[in-house]
Amino acid sequence: MSEQSGKKRWIPLAAVLLVICLLAACVIGVLGMWAISKNVAETGVTIIETRVPDAGNGSTTPPEDQPTPPPMPTFAPASPGEQVLTIPGGDPPTLDPHLSGDATSAVYVVEIFSGLVAYDVNLNLVPDIAESWDVGGDGTVYTFYLRKGVKFHNGKPVRAQDFKWSFERACDFKTGSSTAATYMGDIVGCLDKLRGRADEVSGVKVIDDNTLEITIDAPKAYFLSKLTYPTAYVLDQENVERGGRTWTDNPNGTGPFKLDSINFGESIVLRKNENYYRDPQPQLDRINFALSGGSAMIRYENDELDATPVGLADIERVTDPTNPLNAELMSGTRLSVFYLGFNVNKPPFDDPKVRQAFNYALNKNKIVSVVYKETVPIAEGIVPPGIPGYTNPDLVPLEYDPRKALDLIAESKYGDVTEFPDITLYTTGAGGSPARITEAIVASLKEELGVDIAIQQTDWATFLSDITSPENPYQMYQLGWIADYPDPQNFLDLLFHSDSNQNHMGYSNPDVDALLDKAGVEQDPQTRTELYRQAEQLIINDAPWVPLYFDFEQWLVKPRVKGFFIPPMIVPKFQYISISNEG
Amino acid sequence: MLSYIVRRMLWLPVLLAIMIFITFWLGFYGPGSPEQVLLGQRYSPETAALVRRQWGLDKPFWVQYGRYVLNYVSLNFGESLTKYPGQPVATLLARRLPITLQLNFAAVMLGVPVGLLFGAIAAYYHGSWFDRGIIFVSVFLRAIPTLVAGPILLFIFAKQLKLLPVGGWDGIFSPSAILPVAILSTGIIAGFARQTRANVLDVLNSDYVRTARAKGLSEVRVLLGHVLQNALIPLITIFGFMLGGMVEGTLITETIFGIPGMGLLAFEAINARDYPIVIAITVLAAVVFALSNLWADLFYGVIDPRIRNT
Repeated sequence: MSEQSGKKRWIPLAAVLLVICLLAACVIGVLGMWAISKNVAETGVTIIETRVPDAGNGSTTPPEDQPTPPPMPTFAPASPGEQVLTIPGGDPPTLDPHLSGDATSAVYVVEIFSGLVAYDVNLNLVPDIAESWDVGGDGTVYTFYLRKGVKFHNGKPVRAQDFKWSFERACDFKTGSSTAATYMGDIVGCLDKLRGRADEVSGVKVIDDNTLEITIDAPKAYFLSKLTYPTAYVLDQENVERGGRTWTDNPNGTGPFKLDSINFGESIVLRKNENYYRDPQPQLDRINFALSGGSAMIRYENDELDATPVGLADIERVTDPTNPLNAELMSGTRLSVFYLGFNVNKPPFDDPKVRQAFNYALNKNKIVSVVYKETVPIAEGIVPPGIPGYTNPDLVPLEYDPRKALDLIAESKYGDVTEFPDITLYTTGAGGSPARITEAIVASLKEELGVDIAIQQTDWATFLSDITSPENPYQMYQLGWIADYPDPQNFLDLLFHSDSNQNHMGYSNPDVDALLDKAGVEQDPQTRTELYRQAEQLIINDAPWVPLYFDFEQWLVKPRVKGFFIPPMIVPKFQYISISNEG
Repeated sequence: MLSYIVRRMLWLPVLLAIMIFITFWLGFYGPGSPEQVLLGQRYSPETAALVRRQWGLDKPFWVQYGRYVLNYVSLNFGESLTKYPGQPVATLLARRLPITLQLNFAAVMLGVPVGLLFGAIAAYYHGSWFDRGIIFVSVFLRAIPTLVAGPILLFIFAKQLKLLPVGGWDGIFSPSAILPVAILSTGIIAGFARQTRANVLDVLNSDYVRTARAKGLSEVRVLLGHVLQNALIPLITIFGFMLGGMVEGTLITETIFGIPGMGLLAFEAINARDYPIVIAITVLAAVVFALSNLWADLFYGVIDPRIRNT
């Protein structure tokens, strides 16, 4: 009996604790419910649909099926006469221009902040905060004359000193910028500061409030292009230092739009900068980005969104000319190319004939039309269309020719596919089934050449670690490349020069290197283009790649939105857009 | 009792230091590194060396490990490296945690009562087809890993029947919460049903229930006043163990369904080699695990005096 009462004594205590526990759970629950209004967030199905991770600074595959969306965030209604653009957006990892290196962040950063020079919508380099500049010292000394009257969003004037401070912040190793070395590293002293060997970036000199002198280590045609990158944007010292790590919650930028509000995973609202310093002046009073993404199509059709990217699931529907939505469809290429890369040091791809055979064996038109429903242009060459001043109309591609492919294999040192070692195609992915395009490629090669190829998915970090190691262990891999700046050099020189860190194929052709080196210093644009054309043809002939397709984006845009366009790169674009409230 | 709790709590920092060590060691020597993820295809050995230096990744292993431990002692969880560059890990966790808590709270609210009810009914109708059915189903459910059940349910309800969304998160009161909560709660239902059944059976056969029945008490009073009251107490212990188990369940469930909670953050951070986030989540999970185990141990003592004061 005593044991019985002993048990009983504990019952009240147990009951009390249980009640406390349930109360605590309720409080947590209530807090959670409250928090949900603020905290709905990005979505992504990782196991069901494999997604290719970002290749450096952007998404590398056209979007596949999107998961069903979180509810539309509520935005303040537009008052009469107000121009408000509401579109879907992504959740930015950071709004700090010096830290951002990804496409999602860049969309906002290039609107809120600005720098000395910028690209316009046609990818022409235009003066931004700098009104003009001189180049002296045999192409190594740039003197920038700042526009007068340029102000930060809070009204403070922008001076040359602000640029010096900003460049030094970007080059300070304590800032932790991953892009500074790439984009600012040409400036004398930046790398020293990044290595902690200097307190100051000696190549940046303030001549007076409106004049800035920048010295670079060697003449480089692409230096100005690099200054369009957010790493070279001007920041307000006071804003950054006062705000600590969370200063980007209230950024004091110089761009055409100001950050009005940001709700994690829900919405970002930009507001017009009334004191913007150059044309075109922003016309939109507000831009609402709905971050809780997903089936934006439905909301577009419900008139809740002014524009939306079109996913694969809807592409057939909207490209049908009888569909009323077809009139609202816009498309644009992006400066990126997707390819199969061959490691030219690993059998069987050490024989150029085998690589050429793989090129001839792939019916890219068929594969792309089946997998991407003809939404992407197939790549015959390496450089995507849309680069100002560069086309290669006379390029002779290795077009689909299965007979030639088989002949080449017979001529190769292997003689027959049965003599090949085992072949593995490496692709990025976190598990599940490989991307449909990869499966289609492997199936086609099996059908045309009778070659068995295993697919190996590797997570992005391991994949990078492998292909960037001195001895790339992969025989064959599938990857994409997104341009940093609109120039053939960014594709041909960076990816195929035998000295380049980005040449993961081990490809080396002295003739190609010579052409690329010559083009690098060639001043005459015409000659330069010609040199790059020749290099591109030689590379195609050597076949270290099978170029697959170029990236392409399709959007639906309401007729009331004027001036909307899809630039091939992320450039400031909302200042070109307006809403006609009558239409 | 108090000294027991204190002793157990004193072990916690040691445990956490070991957790940080293992996690960091795996990241340090495993394939891939944060600067590689951040630089992507723009990787070059020189740039990578600069970035490593910026982040202090060039320091020897023990220095970096020591820095993590010292930072944690001063409650500084560091900043994200690659996934959300520069953002404080604490802020990131604070954003994601509510979603995970809601998910688990909903799963408990659904799982515990249903499990209790099934278990109690099964015990009361001991040996009937219902009892056998419950046992079979709960063993079956427990045996299927979330990693298998999740995609199968998605395939049936989202892809084939198109009744529920494929993934994503619209909040706990939306269709997107149904499958994840169902999956998380199956483990709870199965566990509670089996345990409740066993406890209730035990009590039903005890002397005092026989006495109560002999006294002529109504069956309802016997059940509510004697049987359930005594049968439910041990379940408080189970609840502790279960909370610990939910930590792992959440990681897989959130990843499968694309729910932006802690589990998905952990998955993303591992893929991006974002050590500070990975370590913070590991530590948090270890704390939850340790505390829920402590809870379970304590209640064992409370319920069964033989275990107490050891």
